[in-house]
Amino acid sequence: MSVSAPHRPSSDADSRCAPRKRRRKPPRRTGLAAFALAGPFTVLLVGTVLIPVAYAVYLSLFTDRFSGLGFESPRRVFIALGNYWDVLADPAFQVSIRNVVAFALIQVPLMIALALVLAMLLDSAVVRLKQMWSLAVFLPYALPGVIAGLIWAYLYSPGIGPIADLLPFDPLSSGAVLSSIVNIATWQWVGYNVIIFYTALQAVPKELTEAAHVDGAGAFRIAYSIKTPMIKPTIFVSAVFSIIGSLQLFTEPLILRTFTSAVNSTWTPSLYVYESAFVSGDYGRAAAAAVILALASAVLSALVMRLSKRSNR
Amino acid sequence: MSSRREVPRPLGRTTRRSFLKGVVTVGAGLTAAGAAASACGSSVAKQGTRVRIWSWLTGMNKYVDAFNNSQSDIHVELSVIAAGVSGGYAQQANAIRAHNAPDILHTEYQGLPQILLTGGLRDLSSDMADLAGGYSAAAWTGVRPGARTWAVPFDLAPMAFYYRKDLFDANGLTVPTTWGAFRDAAAAVRGIDPGAHVTTFPLSDGAFYAGMSWGADDPWWRIDGDSWRVSVDNPGSQKVAQYWQSMIDDDLVATTATGTQDWISGLHTGKLWGLLGAAWSLGSLKKFIPEDKNRWAVAPLPTWEGSPPTNGMHGGTAFGVSRESKNPEAALTFLRWLSTDPAVPKIAAGFTSLFPAYTPNRQGARAEFTNDYFIGEPVYDVLDLAATRVPEWTWGPNSLGMFSTIQDNIGGAATGGPSLSAALKPIHTAAVADLRDRGISVIERTTS
Repeated sequence: MSVSAPHRPSSDADSRCAPRKRRRKPPRRTGLAAFALAGPFTVLLVGTVLIPVAYAVYLSLFTDRFSGLGFESPRRVFIALGNYWDVLADPAFQVSIRNVVAFALIQVPLMIALALVLAMLLDSAVVRLKQMWSLAVFLPYALPGVIAGLIWAYLYSPGIGPIADLLPFDPLSSGAVLSSIVNIATWQWVGYNVIIFYTALQAVPKELTEAAHVDGAGAFRIAYSIKTPMIKPTIFVSAVFSIIGSLQLFTEPLILRTFTSAVNSTWTPSLYVYESAFVSGDYGRAAAAAVILALASAVLSALVMRLSKRSNR
Repeated sequence: MSSRREVPRPLGRTTRRSFLKGVVTVGAGLTAAGAAASACGSSVAKQGTRVRIWSWLTGMNKYVDAFNNSQSDIHVELSVIAAGVSGGYAQQANAIRAHNAPDILHTEYQGLPQILLTGGLRDLSSDMADLAGGYSAAAWTGVRPGARTWAVPFDLAPMAFYYRKDLFDANGLTVPTTWGAFRDAAAAVRGIDPGAHVTTFPLSDGAFYAGMSWGADDPWWRIDGDSWRVSVDNPGSQKVAQYWQSMIDDDLVATTATGTQDWISGLHTGKLWGLLGAAWSLGSLKKFIPEDKNRWAVAPLPTWEGSPPTNGMHGGTAFGVSRESKNPEAALTFLRWLSTDPAVPKIAAGFTSLFPAYTPNRQGARAEFTNDYFIGEPVYDVLDLAATRVPEWTWGPNSLGMFSTIQDNIGGAATGGPSLSAALKPIHTAAVADLRDRGISVIERTTS
């Protein structure tokens, strides 16, 4: 076979090579361009995602073993999946999972529904000053999570903020702190989802809504039976992002923790990872918990995506 | 020329280093983020051996500047890091792991044994042997876990009771000297002003709780040969827990966190008549409520009836030298200056009431201290007395993690959760399990 062909690309002698050569030329140029364009992304992906993930998986298989009083340098010991068993069997980790699941079950439907209603209102003809309204709901998203957490923590604090005085219960008590965090997260993220839904609604063909209108459908009926089904894929994508975000809940509870004892150091899985690594100094356990969290997010997202495909059929 | 040519190599190293530093900073989380980069030593780069120090000590920049200006052999570079467990400690532990630690590390007495677990500190036993007699016993034992010297003591933080002397005097209350009398005073305060409490007993501060338990003279950790004796749920700690639980149950103390806006406004408006503080609280009061002059006084912490008077410590700073430091001698030169030079208390007098661990410096600290804030007994008389009342105590190799466990377990004590005394058992169990998990030898001692 023509093994040497690549070495003589300029040769026109071989007729079999000619068409191949002609075909190969443009791909080589786009290959270069693709490489140049994908390069920065690849470097970032490898450097900031793949290598750290691989390192975390590697770390999760080891633990530091001390001897005696622990004043000599630790030995790093391979314990295979030992850290994973420890994490999964840890009641604190199970409670943290329960907390984020409860959070997601309340927060995600609430926020998506609220965002949908607001987007429909923005999209309807009756609303004036659309840009002002959309900016108003979007603004909280522009705030860093830490700042939002602090603002709400002060608002919730009895003696400083007004909310504790208005409510019949203490928003920072152990029974109410979950709904308080739901409130912060919804306040912060609803605007983002409104904008996404509103943008999707712009793509709904006007003929459809006009036809429905002619057929006698009212604004509510159009919103419910025409517009909502049309932007269903967008809603599902938003739901996936929200669920992943819920699992990774971190900033709000971390901030509230300094204001109330109702949030403990392992209240969410992310806090559990943080506590394991940076307070207890147990990097192996932290890495294992982080890998479990990542896998859970991946599985959940896949599930939701599959559900969305099935319901679209 | 040849030195010019070497430029690319160090650059390459710095890139990797700053990358690692970035990873570390992101990892250390919100509290530590951004703190790493804020170097604030003297801006003039001088010749001489470069020594890097990470610290969150208030006023450290002033000490470093004074040292750098006093000589030209060593140039100390300070990076201010975030205070506390998930701030500076996390950052330092990560840096040690990344082989990127500064020459000098901030190691409070309470955190030293846990930092030792990283294997990142240099054994200073022979370097510090000549100063053994100079430090007060609590400081010297505090830097010598396992009978080797791991850090250079800086200050001590014996606990004391700060109180609104103006309010106490106006209402004819005397300062309680025992915990029994403290309870009566707390009830009297409630009677005089139903909106006020004598103090807060913060349920969100594990280090404070440990300090209060220290005062009961029944240590949580002891070193016994090659093992740790752990005993958190012991009679002394039970006495402390039961006392404060009953104070909380009868609404005689508040339980809100210290250092918050709420707390500061309480101190200022007279909702809180006192503060269970330590030597450094003076600096906090002056910083948070500078206008409240001639209101506050300091007294020894109340003591338990029927036993010798004792009080614990809350905090206290020492500095360790990194095992991988390239300039340990220079680092030690600076630390010995910081710890023992009379110039240091002189500088400190401008902004706080330094209580040096090095006893010959106490006289200087007292002489330099200008009281323009407190009334009542001289501050240093009280602190000196409090320092003599500190009983023996050893911090364990997981004390920082345990502060977090304490916070998790006692957090509900005021709102119907487990009581302080019921919480001691799970705290003890968690502490023992954590150590055994890491292969550290533990002997349990449960006496209650």
